Amino acid sequence: MKLAFAAPRFSPEGVVGGAETLIRNLALISAEAGHEVELLSTCATDHFTWANSRKAGSERFEGITVRYFPVDEGRDAETYLRIQSRIDRWIVPSKADQELWANNGVRSSELIRWLEQEADSFDAILAGPYLFGITLDISKVAPEKTWLIPCLHDEPFSRLDIIAEAFQRVCGCIYNAAPEQELAEALYDLKDHRGEVVGMELPAFEADPNAFATRHHLNEPYVLYCGRREGGKNTPLLLEYMALYTERRPNAPRLVFCGSGEYQTPRGLEGRILDAGFVSESEKREAMAGAALFIHPSVNESFGIVLMEAWLAGTPALVHAGSEVLRWQCQSSGGGLWFKDYPEFECAMDLLLNRTDLQQQLGQAGGAHVRNTYNREAIQTRLLETLSDA
Amino acid sequence: MKVQLGAEGVDVNALMQEVQNEVQRRRAAGDYQDARIGRAERHNVSQISDGEHAHDVMLRCLDDCSQIDINDYPIEDRNTGIKGKLLVTLKTVIWKLLKFYTYRLWHQQNQYNSMAITAMESQRDFYEKRIQDLENRVNKLEGSQGES
Repeated sequence: MKLAFAAPRFSPEGVVGGAETLIRNLALISAEAGHEVELLSTCATDHFTWANSRKAGSERFEGITVRYFPVDEGRDAETYLRIQSRIDRWIVPSKADQELWANNGVRSSELIRWLEQEADSFDAILAGPYLFGITLDISKVAPEKTWLIPCLHDEPFSRLDIIAEAFQRVCGCIYNAAPEQELAEALYDLKDHRGEVVGMELPAFEADPNAFATRHHLNEPYVLYCGRREGGKNTPLLLEYMALYTERRPNAPRLVFCGSGEYQTPRGLEGRILDAGFVSESEKREAMAGAALFIHPSVNESFGIVLMEAWLAGTPALVHAGSEVLRWQCQSSGGGLWFKDYPEFECAMDLLLNRTDLQQQLGQAGGAHVRNTYNREAIQTRLLETLSDA
Repeated sequence: MKVQLGAEGVDVNALMQEVQNEVQRRRAAGDYQDARIGRAERHNVSQISDGEHAHDVMLRCLDDCSQIDINDYPIEDRNTGIKGKLLVTLKTVIWKLLKFYTYRLWHQQNQYNSMAITAMESQRDFYEKRIQDLENRVNKLEGSQGES
């Protein structure tokens, strides 16, 4: 098959968002299976400014052709933000305003023109994530052969009519998790629509569980969070809960952060956070392997890459029950527990921190699940069988 | 080849049942009558999109932190030495003078808080029951339409 994948950003170095990493991963494993793959992206690398910082053109990367197109200039950011502030409050604006919002989002007319000319040469076009203008535009070019890789969350954008139309327009969706598929089917009435849970390849790895603690002179147990520190990832809640837990439990573990973003240390947690900042992939894995628990407080996840990585490092997880996807991953794997409020957080922490046998069992169960379900062969089979059955 | 559910060996649902039983036991023992929990939960309520659940969490947090603690507490100061001792003495004197006036206010505030929460809870119960009754009536009507 000849396949086109599309993502708003692509970086050969691999430093992009989770959804873009997923699309890159699916493109690479399709090429490895012998298919002809092109990846369409923009010249932007910064997801705040969307400035065209890379030269337009194409290059070969690990067996695929990557084409970079410029992001349209002249976006009316004020209009975009004015409408977005209403959407953020779960208000569904008029159809005209929704279109205005999408038109002033991240788009690339050159990419669309190129695809309009070349669409016939592809057997399938796969684009995502769903909330970018570029994805919505691609869904209109050749909907009969276009698949969305939506990375859908239960969030205000998902309620827009223009989003519903995109889901209904395309021939199918590639999901990361069953709750994501259930959400899409419930929101957009996708009866008789093709959809498959595929996920993303997560290669197994070995990591020294003592290396991180030794490097940072940590001589007490710690719990870990890896990722951006921001409201959207619910890290303020984790900080508040950990501060309270530390006040109520004198032997509470340290909190270790790996990743970027500003945060405010709440009272009671002063001197109890080790902020390792942005670390290398190997150091992140070592931090995971040495942690007593990996805590994922986000309620906006469509897959949970860091959660899987923590399981591969043999570490059990504690996730927010508000994320259907993370809870589903814990139930599917047997690798973690969940909390919906502070009392559940405290009791789950008490249970897991006082039972090293349980930590080990959960960590092993999670690791086995990821190795069995998200290995390269399994992902290749699920993705390519879905596309070839279409 | 579908994503398989259900890992072997660890029953996390049973563990969660254990956690929830322990929460109930501690709640009954008054472990969560702690104003700090309400403060910590303010981030949680804004993140939960499930309206019914968010409403329950909010009411419980309000309940947990509704009673202002009017008992004496150890007065401390981060300064040490003579400066620290002087500041602790000063704070103690201020507290003794103030509490004479503030106890009455706090007592009234606690009464108001209790009544406000009782009112909100009874309103929730009232509307829950009404909605349940209406749902039952709708189901019954739909059932009878299906039969005819």
